[in-house]
Parts: sequence; C-alpha cells; structure tokens
Amino acid sequence: MAAPPLILGAPTDRELSDRLLSGSWTYRGNGWKLAFSLTFAGTLVLFTAITYTVWTGIGVWGNNVPVAWAFGIINFVWWIGIGHAGTFISAVLHLFEQRWRASINRFAEAMTLFAVIQAALFPLLHLGRPWFGYWLFPYPSTTATWPQVKSALPWDAAAISTYFTVSLLFWYLGLLPDLASIRDSAPERWRRRLYGIFALGFRGSERTWRHYRAAYLVLAGLATPLVLSVHSIVSSDFAMGLTPGWHSTIFPPYFVAGAIFSGFAMVLTLVIPARVLFRLEHVITERHLENCAKLILATGLMVSYGYLIEYFIAWYSGNPYEIQQFLSARPTAPGSLLWYVMLLGNVLVPQLFWSRKLRRNVWVLFWASIAINVGMWAERFVIIVLSLEREFLPSKWESYSPTWVDLTIFFGTIFFFLFLFLLFLRFIPIVSASEVKELRHELHEEHHHGEGRHAPHAAG
Amino acid sequence: MHRMLLAEFPGPTELAEAAYALREQGYRDIDAHTPYSTEDVRVGLGLRHSRLPLAIFVGGILGAGLAYGLQWLLVGYLYPLDVGGRPPHMPLAFVPITFEMGVLLASFTAFFGVLVLGRLVKLWDPVFEVEGFETSSVDRFWLRVDGTDPRFDPERTREELARFRPLRVELYERGRPQ
Repeated sequence: MAAPPLILGAPTDRELSDRLLSGSWTYRGNGWKLAFSLTFAGTLVLFTAITYTVWTGIGVWGNNVPVAWAFGIINFVWWIGIGHAGTFISAVLHLFEQRWRASINRFAEAMTLFAVIQAALFPLLHLGRPWFGYWLFPYPSTTATWPQVKSALPWDAAAISTYFTVSLLFWYLGLLPDLASIRDSAPERWRRRLYGIFALGFRGSERTWRHYRAAYLVLAGLATPLVLSVHSIVSSDFAMGLTPGWHSTIFPPYFVAGAIFSGFAMVLTLVIPARVLFRLEHVITERHLENCAKLILATGLMVSYGYLIEYFIAWYSGNPYEIQQFLSARPTAPGSLLWYVMLLGNVLVPQLFWSRKLRRNVWVLFWASIAINVGMWAERFVIIVLSLEREFLPSKWESYSPTWVDLTIFFGTIFFFLFLFLLFLRFIPIVSASEVKELRHELHEEHHHGEGRHAPHAAG
Repeated sequence: MHRMLLAEFPGPTELAEAAYALREQGYRDIDAHTPYSTEDVRVGLGLRHSRLPLAIFVGGILGAGLAYGLQWLLVGYLYPLDVGGRPPHMPLAFVPITFEMGVLLASFTAFFGVLVLGRLVKLWDPVFEVEGFETSSVDRFWLRVDGTDPRFDPERTREELARFRPLRVELYERGRPQ
C-alpha cells in the first residue's frame, strides 16, 4: 500500500498561493471570535493570578520545604519540552531533507515560540521577586557579585534565552517570502503596507535567495544541536543535584526524547483541528499525521527505555535512598496517582501507533495526543514532586498539594498559549506558501523525469 | 535615472535558459525575481555559492570565545568562590554557556547577514512600481536586466530576450513602461 501523497490534487502555484495566504485577510466567522474571546478571557485570568502572586508573595503557591520546586518548574519543563518538536521539525527534518515537513514547519515553529514564552514565565515568577530577574545575567553591578556560571541555573538562563532568540530568527527568516507575497496580493492598501514593512523589502531576487538559502540551512544546522542542548541543560538542573530520583546521567538523553515526544503530541493536538477549520487537508495530509505518529512511537519507546533504565540503575546501585525513591515513593507517596498516569500516557498509549489503521485515524491520533500531553505533565510532576517529597531523612518528608493560584496560573498559560496561537492563525500564513510551491515544483519535476521523458514547459 | 528591461516567464526553466544565453553574451547586471528559489535559475544566472556561512562561522567562534572569556573573568578572576576546593577556573563547567553563546552570535550573523548581503530592509525598489510585478511572488518568474549593464541596449537586449518567448518583455524607466 503506497503512502498517501504530500499534496492532494494538482494545484497550480497560483491556487496554492491563494489558498494558503488568503487566510490572513479573509473575514473570520463567529466561531473564531468565540474562541478568541474565550482564550483572551483566560489570558486575563492568568495575568490576574500573576499579579496576585507578585503582589502578595510566592507564599500563595503550594510550594513548601522540601517541595520547593513544584508547579513552577513542572510547568516550565513541560512547556519547554513541547517547544522542542517545533525546532525538531523545522531544523532536524530540514537537514535530513524530509520534504513532508514543508507544510507543517511554520505551524510547529510558532508552537515553539509560544510554548517558550509560557515556559519563561515560570522561572521568572518562581524567583519570588521577579523584578530581580536580571541578576541571572552578568552585568557590571556595584556590589561586584556575579552569577555563579558553574551552577546549572545560569546555564539554563543562557540556554532558554538563546533558544527563544534563535527560534524567533529562524521563524522570521522563513516568513519573509510569504510576508512579501501578502504585501503583493492582499486586497487592502493598509494591509499591503503593513505586511510590506514586515517583509523588509524582500523582492524574491535571486541575489537575495542565494544568501537566504545558505543562512536558512546554517540556521537549521545550528538549531539542531541547540535543541538537543536545551533540554539537556534543563535536565542538568536536576541531574546536578544529589536528590535521589534526580542524580542520574541518563537524564539528558531521556529528557530530550521526552521533549520531542511531548512536542509531537502537541503538534497533533493543534494541527488536527486547525487543518479542518482552515481547510488545509490538501497540504497537511494523512501522511503528515502518520509521520508524526511514527515519531511519537519512536520517541515514546526511548522514554520508556529511560524509565526502565532508571529503575535498573536504582536497583543495581544498591543505594538505599535510590531504591527507596523508585520502589517505594513512586508507587505509594502522596501524589503517586500521577505516576500511574505517566505510565499510562507515555508507555501504553504510544503503543497504539504500531497499527497503521490507528495511525491514520484522526480521532485516535487526537485523543492519544491529549493523553500523551497529560502523561508528560505527570512525568515532570513525578520527577520533581515525588523526588522532593521523599528525600534522604524521613524527618524531612513532607507531602505537597497545589493551591488554587498554582492551578489558575497553569491553566491560564494554556489559554495564553492558545490565544497567541489564534493570533498567529489569523494574521500569518499557517503553511509556508513559498516552500509548498517549491515542493510542488520538485515533485512535478521528479514525476516527469521518473517517467523517462523530458519535462514539458510547465505552464504557471 | 534608472532603466531596466523586465521579461516575464511562466516557469524557472524558461527563465534559466534566457539568463544563461544573456550571460554567454557578456551581460553582468542581470537578476531574477522568483516566487521560490530553484536550482535552474541559480545555474542560469551563474551565481556562486554564498560566502555567508563563512561569516556565520566567524560569528560563532567569536561568540563562544567571548563567552568563555567572560566566564573565566567572572568566576576565575573577579569573584572566585572556593566551593569544596573546586578550582575557580573549571573548563568543563563553562561548556554549556560557551556553546549557547556561540550559537546565539552565529544565528545573529546568519539573520543580519541575509539582510545586509541580500540588500533587504530597503522597502522600495524600482521594480515595485512595475504593473503586474506582484506575480513574482505568486507564480511568475521575472528576469531583470539593469540599465547599468555595459552591454545594455534597449532595442538589442529586448530582441535577445524576446527569442526565449517570455510572456512579455518591457523596458521600464522609473518603473514606467517606455
């Protein structure tokens, strides 16, 4: 059975351009307005909860000693992880010349940017005094104290800020041809002007294209080790500590696999409704969804292997604290329900994707992706909260439960994320028109060469 | 006074043939405006590989070097802290930030390099005045011969272009057809 095609039908360049770009200027119905209002309201609630936290103090969160990290870091790691699939799709798959990425890379990169914005909120708020956030960066202060760059936390600050900046530059560079296209095609004058400013005078000149292509490729090459480094550095926030359940060398690869795993799940959660709402089934085909499912299966198996190795090493080390953490705390400590959720979502659910039939079933994909997102959140809860609840001395043991402020901020970031995403869907072409046209051209050329005859002069 | 000849082609192959022929005759100031970049057009125009990656490499090395130096300055020289007898200058611990800053500066070089070398952030260009030039970002491939080219001659160049059956070929002065 042949794989479904990457582009359905035989659209011309003009048809592709019209369909992919017109979303930026056509009127949206009540459904969009409702979704926009709902997510905007959620965003306002988020900022109210943030204001309340900053105004009153970090004590309104459920954090205690020893569980000092809790929601602030769980949500940070969860959101950062989600961002990773975007970079993986846009950079790693570009280097491997996986052409199916052309229609989902813009989408996935936007997801990265918005996820990193959510992630960045948490460490900042977790500082307790966010107005001192700049202390993380070396600046010539009069007290002559400097960040301790041998600690994992300044590494994290460097990794996250680099990751956000590079993702933004990569995304914006990829946007230039489409912004120029909207400048040329939008019906209203003000819109042509506005997009014209953001297009930076891109004229499709071959003398620009050659630098553009070189830079794009090199950026993909830079983003690839970057995406691997970011979650490795995030994992060293834990691995550098001595807490049983954290102090492990498997953390960097296991975190990176988990990040890409959860990110692809989020891509599916977002792309499945969006391709129906924006009628993009002809460029985001079953093949794209199926490929995401395959990557989820592969990275899911890596994550499961990570779990297995953690247990093996805990047992093999003979360290009583490690053994206590993994064999007693994980299945029984307060909040251990999430340990079972983690195993269900991250180990069992991806196994569905061994079946081709299920990989091509949109409903299965959608609900499985939700289950995986929940499972990955649970994983971070397990690593952070269960490890801290049961450290070395039983006299130090304490249970943890979040407050309403924790929950409001967490769910608020989901609304804020969706709000930014809706703005993106509304104003920016969701699918890169120039890349899909290029892909169409290449597929067309191959088709004709494949049949062993000369390409006739293609019209339009 | 800016003069140029513009020829509109239906596809990249046709444009590439015309560009190649013009170059054979000694034209230099030719360029193409295309909705996407193709191998054919690049070969036709005879453009060499971009040198930008070299600049990006230098940017990356510079970023990494500065970051390493800064880290040494902060914890190895200005404010050394003795934590359990660990050496203040510890190269292994400097790796993450050195790497991240290398990537950061390399990416800045890549992005701003495209803007500078690709002559962007120039919001106006004579071609924008041309009626119908919008199609260059949709589905048409435009070949452009600038009046500054030593071999440029309004009549002869137009005839040479016309041989390749463009959809149209026209001489523009300040964006207006002549």
